Amino acid sequence: MGTPSRPVTRAWLLPAGLFALPLGAALAWALAGAADPAAWQALRTDAAFAPSLRLSLWVGITTTTLSLGLTLWLVARLHGRPAWRRLERALGALLAIPHAAFAIGLALLLMPSGLIARLIAPLAGWDAPPNAATVQDGFGLALIAGLVLKEVPFLLWNVVAQLRPVAQGAQLRLQLQTAQAMGYPAASVWWRVLWPQLLPRLALPVLAVWAYGLTVVDMALVLGPTQPPTLAVLAWSWLLDADAALNRQGAAAALLLALVMAAGAVLGTLGWRVAQAPLRARAVRGDRPAPHAALPAGPVLAGGAAAYAGVIALLLFVSVASVWTFPALWPQQASLDAWAAVAGSLRSVVVTAGLALAASATGVALAIAWMETTPAAWDRRAAPLVFAPMLVPGVLLVVGLYRLALALRLDGSLTGLWLAHSLFSAPYALVALAPAYRSFDVRYEQTAQALGRGRLVFLWRVKWPMLLAPIASAAAIGFAVSVTQYLSTQFVGAGRYATITTEALTLASGGQRSLMAAFALLQAALPALAFAIAWGLGRAQARRIGASESA
Amino acid sequence: MLELADIRIATPERVLVRGLSAQVGAGEVLVVMGESGSGKSSLLAWLCGTLAPGLVASGQVRLEGRDIGALPTVQRRIGILFQDDLLFPHLSVLENLLFALPAGVTAQRVAKAQAALADAGLAEHGRRLPHTLSGGQRARVSVLRALLAQPRALLLDEPFARLDLPLRERFRAFVFERLRAQGIPALLVTHDAHDVPPGAQVLQLTAGAGGHA
Repeated sequence: MGTPSRPVTRAWLLPAGLFALPLGAALAWALAGAADPAAWQALRTDAAFAPSLRLSLWVGITTTTLSLGLTLWLVARLHGRPAWRRLERALGALLAIPHAAFAIGLALLLMPSGLIARLIAPLAGWDAPPNAATVQDGFGLALIAGLVLKEVPFLLWNVVAQLRPVAQGAQLRLQLQTAQAMGYPAASVWWRVLWPQLLPRLALPVLAVWAYGLTVVDMALVLGPTQPPTLAVLAWSWLLDADAALNRQGAAAALLLALVMAAGAVLGTLGWRVAQAPLRARAVRGDRPAPHAALPAGPVLAGGAAAYAGVIALLLFVSVASVWTFPALWPQQASLDAWAAVAGSLRSVVVTAGLALAASATGVALAIAWMETTPAAWDRRAAPLVFAPMLVPGVLLVVGLYRLALALRLDGSLTGLWLAHSLFSAPYALVALAPAYRSFDVRYEQTAQALGRGRLVFLWRVKWPMLLAPIASAAAIGFAVSVTQYLSTQFVGAGRYATITTEALTLASGGQRSLMAAFALLQAALPALAFAIAWGLGRAQARRIGASESA
Repeated sequence: MLELADIRIATPERVLVRGLSAQVGAGEVLVVMGESGSGKSSLLAWLCGTLAPGLVASGQVRLEGRDIGALPTVQRRIGILFQDDLLFPHLSVLENLLFALPAGVTAQRVAKAQAALADAGLAEHGRRLPHTLSGGQRARVSVLRALLAQPRALLLDEPFARLDLPLRERFRAFVFERLRAQGIPALLVTHDAHDVPPGAQVLQLTAGAGGHA
């Protein structure tokens, strides 16, 4: 039903070009910037390089393995149960919390004077924070914990998206039922039959988790080790340095991370292929494991929910705490000074919201233009390009974007920032909008044509109003992506424009905890507001359409 | 022997099946017919132990003299065949059959699966993936798979509905012949009177009604 009835014209070149050209140019410039042999030599001989790379690999591999393993296990244990429905409903809210805000909240939870230590203090007899590096620890455990807590909901959301299409979901349910009728418990059917079919379709999201874990900067600045930091953080510090030679060394490190990421993807693919034969032999061995032999998923879910609730609650409490000595569980004195200071930084709030609105509108417009000018089958062809901004290490991409902005004389300008943010928002808007947009019934257009209406009238009066809910959701996602931009804002904006994200992360390295918490909370609140508006619009439209249908 | 006694299935709003009782002997087929919404699929789901939340059922279902109403799906050993063949697309035909067979010595299991394929005229297709087979071949493999799991009863949820007419007749004969040969009681849900095998009991369901076959 979703196949366009119109012939494909060259109009698709416009959205594709608007997206691909700047992306391609940025990547080319980034590669050119990293092509200096002296920079590679300097990188190789830098004392921090090898330990940083090892740390990055450890964080990336552990995060990806734990996130994927937990996701597969949770789905196998929970799918079809009431808890799965509750989890499905909660995913949107979990994903809406920006990585940086979450990292700051998690740091407040885990740090030696954090909430967890305060809860333990009466039992352990502590009257001062314990002398332990529970955040920014040398093994990167706090960073891994933060990443896993953020990436599991992302992977679960992708699983839900795979299961949602009615036919596909029903087919899997019937396969589950058929295998259960042969004596296999549900969890066993997932491992033997369903995951082998679904996992290849989760390849890109898993790759995105691997890329993010390996190259993350914002969360690593808050939670990650400092002596040495991860290679992405090190590269970032070199790129920000006034010394041009160090900048080139940073670009080389960023390119190296991209190569490591690609090598990991190739190894993962090869590993998956090699594992096929033994996995299939294992799947058809015929043994029926006893049901209920596995660990219950409830405590894991409760732990995750407690971490998210704790993070938000802590951000709120810390933002209004003026005196909160250890080991008190509640602040002794409250103050709105931090929020008054936030109100004083109204410009950064306006810049953040304005950029996010513009980038989200551009992203949605590009996504709609792409889908209006191409058949659905082309989405598959465009997938690698669409996923590129999610997969290419941000620290590498921003190097190219900065050079592109310099060439176009857009560096340090709001226009440059808008274009850079749009480049990151557009793919998310497309991924969010495509399922609903592509499944729109083409007979509505045929009906409109038969009634003598042109295409523009049809789009404006029929299609877009009917698709208001998914368009609003895609816009909210594009908005959230823009709000969370850190690297591109700092680099393309040349440090001239502060957003609430750059403010929060700058404060994270200082001592003003209440101000940092207030900015982090605001960073989480803006996307939440956008999602709430999108939800309200969608609901109102659904009521209206439902009312008119029954009328 | 599959015995159903005084079965009642209801939603909070209405009763779908009321007071249904029947007995199906070894190799016999009980045909359940009825309009959409009369509770046919809910009856099968209840027998399988996969009744949707929101539906409430009562009554007794006994298999080989044992009450299985409280057993989980995996312990009932009631096989099921749907309209779609539901062969696992990533496994070869032979692997689909091995999946159903109980654990044991690999060589013996493979020999058993290959013998079943040969018996069904599919000997040379074991290494192929399901999507490379014709619709009729896939349908036969799905029956073989269901039977190799050694079910004590088989539920057939309109398994002939998607096949074209000539194929449908051959496939019906294929299924009923094997059920008789293996002495498996079966319950067949269908809308088509042509699907009813000779001598089978027929139960006509109407919403809220029930009764004896």
